[in-house]
Amino acid sequence: MAYPVKATIFATAVAFASPAAAEGIKIANIENFTGPGSTTNREYALAAKYWADTVNAAGGIKGNNIEYFEYDSQGSTATAAEKFRSAIADGAQIIVQSGSSGIAGQLTEDVRKHNLRNPEHPVVYLTAGAEALELTGEKCHFYFFRFAPNAAMRVKALITVMQKQGALGKKVFAINPNYSWGTDMQTSTEASAAAGGYAVVDTVLHETNKSQDFGPYVARMKSAGADTVITGSWGNDLILMMKEIDRTGLDVSFAAMFLDLPGMIENAGPSSAGYFAVETANREVGGEATEKLYADYAAKLGHTPSSSEVRTIFGMWALQAALEQVDVSGTLNVTDLAKALEAVSIDTPMGKIAVRAEDHQGALPLIVSQVSADAKFKRESLDIGLKPVSLVEGAASINPVQPSCKMQRP
Amino acid sequence: MDFIAVSLFNGVSYGLLIFMVSAGLTLVFGMMGVLNIAHAAFYMIGAYVGYWMTTHGNFWAGLVLATMVAAAIGAVVERVMLRRAHRHGHAHELLLTFGLLFIFEELVKIFFGFYPVSYSAPDSLTFTAFSIFGTNYPFYRLFIALVAVLMFAVVFLLLRFTRAGLIVRASVYRPQMVEALGHNVPMVFLGVFSLGAGMAGLAGAVAGAFYPTSPTMAQELGMIIFVVVVVGGLGSIHGALVASLLIGVMSSFAIGLDWTLADALRSFGMTQGAGQSGILTVRLSSLAGALPFLFMLITLLVRPAGLFGDKTQA
Repeated sequence: MAYPVKATIFATAVAFASPAAAEGIKIANIENFTGPGSTTNREYALAAKYWADTVNAAGGIKGNNIEYFEYDSQGSTATAAEKFRSAIADGAQIIVQSGSSGIAGQLTEDVRKHNLRNPEHPVVYLTAGAEALELTGEKCHFYFFRFAPNAAMRVKALITVMQKQGALGKKVFAINPNYSWGTDMQTSTEASAAAGGYAVVDTVLHETNKSQDFGPYVARMKSAGADTVITGSWGNDLILMMKEIDRTGLDVSFAAMFLDLPGMIENAGPSSAGYFAVETANREVGGEATEKLYADYAAKLGHTPSSSEVRTIFGMWALQAALEQVDVSGTLNVTDLAKALEAVSIDTPMGKIAVRAEDHQGALPLIVSQVSADAKFKRESLDIGLKPVSLVEGAASINPVQPSCKMQRP
Repeated sequence: MDFIAVSLFNGVSYGLLIFMVSAGLTLVFGMMGVLNIAHAAFYMIGAYVGYWMTTHGNFWAGLVLATMVAAAIGAVVERVMLRRAHRHGHAHELLLTFGLLFIFEELVKIFFGFYPVSYSAPDSLTFTAFSIFGTNYPFYRLFIALVAVLMFAVVFLLLRFTRAGLIVRASVYRPQMVEALGHNVPMVFLGVFSLGAGMAGLAGAVAGAFYPTSPTMAQELGMIIFVVVVVGGLGSIHGALVASLLIGVMSSFAIGLDWTLADALRSFGMTQGAGQSGILTVRLSSLAGALPFLFMLITLLVRPAGLFGDKTQA
């Protein structure tokens, strides 16, 4: 977290002219690097750092370097709030955090309050991962932007495509982690019942990455008579669930939102063939541009990016496009930046990404994929991978504006 | 009916798994008074050694090697670090083991990466043992249970019927007296610590092939084994067994039950709570993870020494 030596010398040289100019564009990434779930969460930071390094290597934004700092939230809201204060003290004007909706709920409130108390020095907060509906609902505010889908968007895309494929049963079991994201998934799954022509036979919320044994949950799926399981669980929880379904021989259609992340299909093994996933990226989509991005990322970080990483890069591209629109030579005018972000529209290899001004939800293309032997890119030591089934454009994927969002504009 | 049967089986096998890990912890805790925060790290080390050996040899050799590696690391930790910290009191020992947990976790990340590794049992163990009510019951769950029962039997017989066991039990109660009688108590401590670590290592190698083997597995299991030790009673291996089974079965059933406080009130004729949101409508299933801690709280209040703990001056 030390200042680069070059920048410090430069700062001393022009200290009289414009001290802020030499400090570059300060971005603070408050991510869970060491707490439970950090294996999944830290990917977002890897990708954000990759973007910052790439921009700086290409000469920065209009000649101004990105100064990218990382802070460890340890997966706790209290630590995240503390790190937010450190980030502000260190001069950050752009906050990035993606790992958890729970922490995002805390940070977005911290940002809102900070901006109320310091109207002359507001900060803007971007997420590429926190998907809880409340963030663009009752907690929405002018300085929060989400370049990730939400539960309503994911479920809508999934149900539509699964129904077309004839893979959606009549008796759906919803199992989700017990925090804002999970309850959103549950609500969205229940709300889509009429459109999907199914009944939700049972729902359960489980503790996040604390259970060691999913046997009891699978027993519950069985006793509910479910023929389809839709889950927003991730990380170890998802692995445990899939392994247990395989072992007990439960015969269900299975759809998981975060099946794409490293270790998931690898651990579930060949029995995961036919499982559905909804993501914002798939390597088979986008042809040469995708290949170029994936290859460059792999060359620099040593692994091909997961959809979380690609989504973060796209989100940062949107930020980059907005930064190009504003004056970045001195201290950033964050309100101008937020206005530029509202109007942003960029082309990514997966399709067009824009921001809806009403609630700052990103309109992102969603790709529904299925684990299959036909996939072009197979998982390590397996002959299966995620094969795209259908791509839903951003304009069609976005959910209606939530009435609870009452945004105050400056 | 089918749910009850399956939950009972799942609960017992999970309970026996946590017993395997907590057995070593309770022995060390009871004897040395050291709350070894790093104990679950031996479980993780065992799982990774088992994984490494499975990819470079075979699963069974992995079980043996995991036990030995964990026991050896345990011995080094006790001899080189804990014994020095012991002079400065329990707080130092506690902090030392706390630090060790993080160090082991980071080491695992350096060698094996951040993501869960795909460690699975050999095909000869991954088959369906039997089917009840249309649910296949995996044989491997029985295997975990079998290993745990064998471990309990061996430890129990060792403690009960051998001379070494007699000295160990005596050292738990009156270390100074045992030392005065000419026994090498530090050596006994070393042996017990190493044995406990080895048991956790074996548990890791066995369980890691069934549950995910990942760098966070130590922290995930770490809390629950403390609950087992406290509920079972310090140093009581029976207590650990009973507490593990209780917690395993309790968690397993809680997940299937959607009782709420509102339902409970309704059965007493109080219907006002129904339909409201808030604490009255929180479902038991979503609290499954918190139940063991509630159980621990109640045990500490009602019977501070634990279910089978008879050592009051811990």
